[in-house]
Amino acid sequence: MASKHEVHASNTREAFANFFKGIGEYFSDFGKAITKGDIGVKLSTIFMGAGYFARKKYIVGILATLFEALFVVMCIFYAAPNLAKFGTLGTTVRSTQFDPVTMQNTVIKGDNSFLILLNSVIALFLIFVFILLWIHNIKRAYELQQDSEKGMHINTFVEDVKSLVNGRFNITLLTLPTIGVILMNVIPILILIAIAFTNYDQQHMPPSALFTWVGITNFKNILSLSNNSAFGYAFFKVLGWTLVWAFFSTFTCFLGGIVMAKLITYRKVKFPKFWRTLFVVTIAVPQFVTLLLVRYFFGDTGIVNSICSSIGVTDFLKTIGLVKSHLTYIPFLTSPGWSKFMIVMINIWVGVPYQMLVATGVLINIPESQVESAKLDGANAWQIFWHVTMPYVMFVEGPTLITDFVRNINNFNVIYLLTQDTFVTTNQQLANANAKEVDLLVTWLFRLTNDYYNYKMASVIGIIVFIICAVFSLIAFSKFLSGGREESYQ
Amino acid sequence: MENTINDKVISKNDTLAEKELKLRSKKKSELASTIIINVLIAIFALIWIIPIVWLLVTAFSKYRGIDTAHFFPAQGWTLDNFKIVLFEPDSVVQYMAWFKNTLVIAIFSCIISTVFVLMVSYVFSCMRFRGRQAMMKFSIILNMFPGVLSMIAVYFVMKQLGLTNSHVGMVIVYSAGSGLGYLICKGFMDTIPTSIREAARLDGASEAEIFFKIILPLSKPIIVYTVISAFLAPWADFVFAKLMLNSGISSDWTVAIGLYNMLGKDLKSHYFSIFCAGGLLISIPISALFVLMQKYYVEGVTGGASKG
Repeated sequence: MASKHEVHASNTREAFANFFKGIGEYFSDFGKAITKGDIGVKLSTIFMGAGYFARKKYIVGILATLFEALFVVMCIFYAAPNLAKFGTLGTTVRSTQFDPVTMQNTVIKGDNSFLILLNSVIALFLIFVFILLWIHNIKRAYELQQDSEKGMHINTFVEDVKSLVNGRFNITLLTLPTIGVILMNVIPILILIAIAFTNYDQQHMPPSALFTWVGITNFKNILSLSNNSAFGYAFFKVLGWTLVWAFFSTFTCFLGGIVMAKLITYRKVKFPKFWRTLFVVTIAVPQFVTLLLVRYFFGDTGIVNSICSSIGVTDFLKTIGLVKSHLTYIPFLTSPGWSKFMIVMINIWVGVPYQMLVATGVLINIPESQVESAKLDGANAWQIFWHVTMPYVMFVEGPTLITDFVRNINNFNVIYLLTQDTFVTTNQQLANANAKEVDLLVTWLFRLTNDYYNYKMASVIGIIVFIICAVFSLIAFSKFLSGGREESYQ
Repeated sequence: MENTINDKVISKNDTLAEKELKLRSKKKSELASTIIINVLIAIFALIWIIPIVWLLVTAFSKYRGIDTAHFFPAQGWTLDNFKIVLFEPDSVVQYMAWFKNTLVIAIFSCIISTVFVLMVSYVFSCMRFRGRQAMMKFSIILNMFPGVLSMIAVYFVMKQLGLTNSHVGMVIVYSAGSGLGYLICKGFMDTIPTSIREAARLDGASEAEIFFKIILPLSKPIIVYTVISAFLAPWADFVFAKLMLNSGISSDWTVAIGLYNMLGKDLKSHYFSIFCAGGLLISIPISALFVLMQKYYVEGVTGGASKG
């Protein structure tokens, strides 16, 4: 065990070392290019096309210089005015002023903090990308210089273009997807991180009001355990339930899936295909249909409640104290305790068929020899299940188990569709923070943004959730995907 | 002497009889366990199918609200709910418009997503270049950040671009970041033997030719899987659609939001059975595609393995 840990540690250390070595090389290459480059290379630190002109690559040279000019124009007209206000996020509020000359109200267009933030983030990102390209350009110019000194062939423009479908095909293929990811993932995440350090909420909504930087106040607010912070109280409550939920939903569905798969593939079961189709049908129906349906199925005045009260289940639950005596129904989805239980149960209903499909595939591939030798050694079915089947399933499904856990931390649909509009919290402290007992961090975040415009807190929650998910994922990767594991079943 | 022989015979007879008895009881217990296990699975199936049956029967119910006392419609059966859903749009039910919107969004985002995923998978699986490892690691970390969390920022970016309440915006939201979901497809392409690509390269084929003429035709099952899963995403999505299409003009909505809206506080007592009819109609094509997708997924994964 100790040696294993050492391996892990050395792996991580190596990875870190490689990372820094890579960065070091990146900059030392750059320094070499500048110091050892000829006049063309040195000039290309100012005019990006210079290096290409020196090698008679005029079209590329013009394009590179044009690109640089475009960047300068962007800086002057877009980046500079926004970044100038980035420190304050705007100072003048929009107002109307009476103009005695024209006898009319004129609107003084004030600053819009959000636009300043958004544009500044985009501008900073563009500048960052430009610097990378600028460095790359100088290195490339130096490479060309070396090539020509060695007397190697230097590609013409046509050849350069042609290489985009051959040697540099990766650039052609990756450009659009990368732009998409930057637009949809990178920029939004950067903005989210920035907002977490501002006071952007309903009282500070541009354009009628401004918001500004507040440092780590929001983080302090949410992580404080003192009783006067509604958000701190709500956060730890919601976090607790989120983790409990993620644990139970993941493991119930995982075990349920294996049991179900075992059951259906059991040799004595008649018509296994028919049963499997039945289960699969239930996951094929979209969740927003089934979950909304189930929500009314278990409503306070829903059909399950009518049946339960007519056959006496409601009264029985009252006598054993599981339902409060003043109620005439079972609060399946309206009391905290019952809802949490029901949400996990309903999630089993939603998740087990899917896990069954996965588990069936895994169980088919169990090495026959292991089962046979276990049988020869006199193991019974139960022992085989626990000592042969389960280790194998854990080996194959271990990593997915963690990804499922992370996905369940963010399982928006099940919670939102089952409890939105119907579940009302009676806990005043939670209500102050716009949270509910059954909320996950994500549903809380969604409500904060969509209904209460509390963007600062939503952003803080977003960052915290990301950190939690990242930690679990990293543990998973280092535990399951580190070296030496692959061979166990080969 | 005799005695012992007799004893032996008796004991032999005894064991034979015992064996037969054991065999019989074994058969009996086998029969019992067969029955038990089949009944058990039938009970499970019943639990799983009840809500679906409820959906089915309520869709044909004459009573429009939520029947709290009867499982099967007590006021009689009718096809009216389907007629309203399909042919008689009103201010609440714009089913055909929703269907059309979702279909258009799904088709376009499916095309873009599939193209992106295939491009990224090919690059990471078949090409070797500097920065490949770093890009793959970075994309894995980025993919850990759930889309739901950054949706406010996505919303603002789209609003700045003037793309909220527009279907173009929805297509972008669903497909722009799809390049990150390359893992399954790359896994498949990894199983295609490198010797095929090397042979083609020796014959003078360019990377583009290898991509279009060799890898893509060999990747059919995983392409079908990618196409179907990308096509299904907009039908199942609820969060982004609700955030982005917030103008309140019901004819702009997607099926998911439209159906959700029918169960609002004031509407559900008049529209519940219509909701069921609409939900049922949407479920049929989606289930069919889902089953097809599963088939191709299995084919892609197992077929790929045998090839490698």
